[in-house]
Amino acid sequence: MTGCISYRVIKAVEGRSVPNTYEEFRVGTTTLQKALQTLGAPDQVAELEGKDVLIYQQSLLANSGLSFGIPLTDIWGPGFSFSAYGELVRYDLVFLSFTPDGILSEIVIEKGSRYPYLKTMFSEVKE
Amino acid sequence: MYESSCFHRGKGDITLKRLREPLCILLLVFFLQSCAGWVKNTDYHPFDAAKLDKLTVGKSTVVQVTEMLGAPSTIVKLSNGNAYIYRRSLSKGTGLWLLIVSFGNYEKRYDQVVIFFDKKNIMTHYGVTLDAHKAAYELP
Repeated sequence: MTGCISYRVIKAVEGRSVPNTYEEFRVGTTTLQKALQTLGAPDQVAELEGKDVLIYQQSLLANSGLSFGIPLTDIWGPGFSFSAYGELVRYDLVFLSFTPDGILSEIVIEKGSRYPYLKTMFSEVKE
Repeated sequence: MYESSCFHRGKGDITLKRLREPLCILLLVFFLQSCAGWVKNTDYHPFDAAKLDKLTVGKSTVVQVTEMLGAPSTIVKLSNGNAYIYRRSLSKGTGLWLLIVSFGNYEKRYDQVVIFFDKKNIMTHYGVTLDAHKAAYELP
């Protein structure tokens, strides 16, 4: 029976959820020290156009698949099989950019986890 | 007096008796075919809190930090110096196979220390996140 039909659900989470404490940050006043004290160590650090960037992120993967088949190869050459699967990786992300003096110059927030798995999978891609 | 149709001795009762054996066999096959598994990475070792307490902003140097914590996982060049990133991860995974349906869950969490040095290799800032112990065995 397992050779004929199977269904799987896989979930994977990497990293911690970013705390909402970044909401108190203000461009032009919040310092690098304050950000590190509040949010802890970032997941990524980089230099971008002369500014220092800290990225805090959590990735959430959801995968599900359905397969159906009739194995007839031993008794009748061709077999029949059908399979469908979907995979979605969503990111919750906080991007903080600091001047060389350590003052917050830009903050970008992405909350990918607000998009539900099935609704996102079946929604049409907009260009 | 009201009597539930489930307990009514009649045609339904005979049908239930007929179905009992195939249902038991089906349940037995279902559980005999089932399997569960757990995985965990074995190379994780936590940071020494006593060593982290010795980090002093404005005093600790690159040499002292690397003597204390060892080689960093990554070094990133920044506008005013460098960042040394120390990262350790703990992953836990769970799998459950029930005949035709299977479930899997994987969780990876990190302990991270990021230390910022100026161009003179003196520590200017640092951030610590100790989150690896929160990785858990779960099902989706």
